[in-house]
Amino acid sequence: MGGLEKKKYQRGSATNYITRNKARKKLQLSLPDFRRLCILKGIYPHEPRHKKKVNKGSTAARTFYLLKDIKFLLHEPIVNKFREYKIFVRKLRKAYGKSEWGTAERLKDNKPTYKLDHIVKERYPTFVDALRDLDDALSMCFLFSTFPRTGKCHVQTIQLCRRLAVEFLNYVIASRSLRKVFLSIKGIYYQAEVLGQPITWITPYAFAHDHPTDVDYRVMATFTEFYTTLLGFVNFRLYHSLNLHYPPKIDGQAEVEVKPAEGKEYAMDSESYLEKHKKLFEGLRFFLNREVPREPLAFVIRCFGGQVSWDKSLCIGATYDVSDPSITHQIVDRPRVEQQVVGRYYLQPQWVFDSVNAKLCLPVADYFPGVLLPPHLSPFVTEQEGDYIPPEKLKLLAMQRGEDPGEETEEEEEEEEEEEEDDNDKDEEEEEEDESEKEEEIKLKKMEEQKAQSNKALPVKVTAGKVRLEDKQRLEQEQQSEEKRLAIMMMKKREKYLYKKIMFGKKRKIREANKLAAKRKAHDTALKEEKKKTKKARRA
Amino acid sequence: MAAVAESLSFLGLTPSARDPATAVRRRNRGPRNRKKGWKRWAGPEARLGREIGDFLEDVTLQQRVAGGLIAEQPDAGLFFVDTGNAEKGRKRKNKIREKPLHIDLVLQPDSKVPPPKDILSYQIPNGKKERRRRQFWERLAQRGVLPRAERRLQTRLQNAAGRVDPGRSFYDIWADDNPLERALVGQDSWFLQQTQKQRVKRPPRLQQKPSQLPAVEVIAPGGSYNPTFEDHQALLLKAHEVEVMKKRAEDKVERQLRFPTAAEAPTAETVFREQCEGLLEESEGEEEEEEEQKEEAVGGAQPSDPPRPPLRPGKKTEQQRRKEKEARAQELRRRQEKAWRCRQQQLFRLRSLGRQLRRWEQELLRRRRAREAKRREMEGRPRRLGRIKYEDPALEVQLSDELAESLRTLKPEGSVLHDRFKSLQKRSLIEPRERAKFKRKYRLKYVEKRAFREVTL
Repeated sequence: MGGLEKKKYQRGSATNYITRNKARKKLQLSLPDFRRLCILKGIYPHEPRHKKKVNKGSTAARTFYLLKDIKFLLHEPIVNKFREYKIFVRKLRKAYGKSEWGTAERLKDNKPTYKLDHIVKERYPTFVDALRDLDDALSMCFLFSTFPRTGKCHVQTIQLCRRLAVEFLNYVIASRSLRKVFLSIKGIYYQAEVLGQPITWITPYAFAHDHPTDVDYRVMATFTEFYTTLLGFVNFRLYHSLNLHYPPKIDGQAEVEVKPAEGKEYAMDSESYLEKHKKLFEGLRFFLNREVPREPLAFVIRCFGGQVSWDKSLCIGATYDVSDPSITHQIVDRPRVEQQVVGRYYLQPQWVFDSVNAKLCLPVADYFPGVLLPPHLSPFVTEQEGDYIPPEKLKLLAMQRGEDPGEETEEEEEEEEEEEEDDNDKDEEEEEEDESEKEEEIKLKKMEEQKAQSNKALPVKVTAGKVRLEDKQRLEQEQQSEEKRLAIMMMKKREKYLYKKIMFGKKRKIREANKLAAKRKAHDTALKEEKKKTKKARRA
Repeated sequence: MAAVAESLSFLGLTPSARDPATAVRRRNRGPRNRKKGWKRWAGPEARLGREIGDFLEDVTLQQRVAGGLIAEQPDAGLFFVDTGNAEKGRKRKNKIREKPLHIDLVLQPDSKVPPPKDILSYQIPNGKKERRRRQFWERLAQRGVLPRAERRLQTRLQNAAGRVDPGRSFYDIWADDNPLERALVGQDSWFLQQTQKQRVKRPPRLQQKPSQLPAVEVIAPGGSYNPTFEDHQALLLKAHEVEVMKKRAEDKVERQLRFPTAAEAPTAETVFREQCEGLLEESEGEEEEEEEQKEEAVGGAQPSDPPRPPLRPGKKTEQQRRKEKEARAQELRRRQEKAWRCRQQQLFRLRSLGRQLRRWEQELLRRRRAREAKRREMEGRPRRLGRIKYEDPALEVQLSDELAESLRTLKPEGSVLHDRFKSLQKRSLIEPRERAKFKRKYRLKYVEKRAFREVTL
């Protein structure tokens, strides 16, 4: 045949991808080093669209990287550092094997190290990019700071993570940017708003620790290495945006140092609602008992302007003692509290978190020690219309709007009780009322007939009209619904069909919501009956 | 006289004694350089040595006992006058022992020789030299010069930090003037690029993340430590569904592998009954059944004649060739005419052709949209990178009786480390991997010891 034959797999997607092993050989690195490099640089494997083409006809599951990404990796200066480290390890092992201690010491003094600053700058050219990726970084740092100091990962890493985490928390306290808290069974979720970016992170509970075996610690350690560098730079920038000195001299939970010249400024939002939210606990003094989780509570309380202290023997940084008379709230988690001081509220820790989520100080009666707590709702759930909203959330919304549902609920309960007790009486009364109404109607009719019959030639009288209060809202609503009906009538057949389908879907949602409500009602009644039984049992 | 004589005899100065000044010669026991002469105890040196030894021992005994030679001691130290005072029976008011115990006495050091002074403990070797050296280094340290060991230690501490130094200093990396780029500020970019001082630009393709999923996915509201009834039920329902799927998969496998027992095994009777199902439907069914049976019988009896094989191909005659050629030409002509006619007729089919094309285009459009929708859907899922597929982590949910009453009694469920790891895999940042298994190259051989083999229970 004339001309050069086109061979398969020599152009197109087959040449754009490279397998992991080939990439590793091209870079002349070992597999763990290659993985570490990819994680640090942010190079991820790609899944090609046509695997058979890229894999040259076979369908074996391989990991592919873009060839251009690997070529970009070749220019990275820390690749040389990895190679130097490999040689260093080899020499050190030889020195130890030959018992040349002097050589070993000399080698250890000159251990090759690398810095990740340029990678941070390259991956996040602006500060906002870095803030967008801060979720992951924060979660990792908080996670690593809770690790025990065994030899599994460098103790320095754990210390550094702890320090950076505490610094970030101090920034959040100083800038009052915490918005949401959620206590889950996995850990505590926080959401803060930093320079307009919402940042969500999770902190494990302090006392939960199990080492899952299917987690690759080296990979996590590499991620943490990168994230600690990133978080350090971000902290520096954040502190400078608040005109605070970095690194702060923190011992335990002490306050952040402020530059003497300028005072503290935090991002002033124009909305007064937000301002009120930020000053939620202003003026309140809290005391944490020994059995409550100290760090999350102290952080949250401080974020909203409150003052907090704990027992001196727990940790450094306790400012006042339990016997201080100016304490307004004491957080306890025991079923009973002896020696209650007058003028102090004894509350369970959920009050703090629920108040933060509800953006106002909730009524304390529900959170006394030994009381069955209301459920802890998730602030991360956004409800659309038609979805089921649990009654607790409704109460909360009502409270936020300014109504006082506390009394209402009491009244409702009383009414319900009365109703149940006087059920029979009421039924009788109602029956009587109905009868009387019917009688009246009959009477009226009779009267009208009589009148009509008697006065045939009735002079037209102008009687005074009754003032009917027009409900404007109701009128508007009626008008709107009429318009809607008209529009529906005017739709084409196809559109109507679509509309019907949509409405069907919506109605289904509402039906499900009603089902849930009915279930909830049943559950509530069951609870009430149980309560009554216990009450009766107690009385008897 | 007798005492003198005694003392003299005691001292050995009797008349019959020989003069100690005169040397006594013992009988020569042969030349001393023989083997017999090797016996060291017999010679005069040995004798002298023994005598000196005895003398020295005597002297030391006297020193231990009396603190010096007895001859030099004063009389009062050696003798005392026994006045013979009888003990007047002293009443023991206190039953305290006057004398110490005998064993204590025996264990005390009873030598009057004082222990020797340890002069080494007062001596510092090179004491003066060391003092002067210390003062010298102090003077230098005041000036700021440290010895080499100290300097090495300082540098080691500075360098030992490396990449995870807790005390490492950060700076504002996003400011215009930062230490990273200070060196490259005013220079020509071409020059920097050619001399490899400037870093290679990162391709913009790498700015996008592989997955749009959020980094931290908050757990459903039923995962709160004190959830509402409905949310908790919803979460339990989800977990329940997962379990149901698992159970179904297990059941399917079991069903496929199940082999019927002897009782359930199909017998000839059950097989026949199964085959006749639906056929025997009272009166109508019987006739149909008969017809069907007849048809089956008929169908099976007809033999199918295969076509006759062609006769042995012989040479074609001219006629045959001509005929074939004509047939071929005719065929060709016919086909051409037909094609021409079809094309003519297509003019009248324009509208329907147009309709066909439009429908085909719509079909293509629909396929394209379906492909795009599928691609968008696949993007949301974790990518398949490598041999092992991504598996969702188990839902963290606490049963109704495990729910905590208070924060103090809360028992956390799940591990944040595991959750983070799975989240990284879900966002396709790392590929799912499994632990490397230990593969044995050769089969293990187990051998029982002979002694154990002989043991019979």
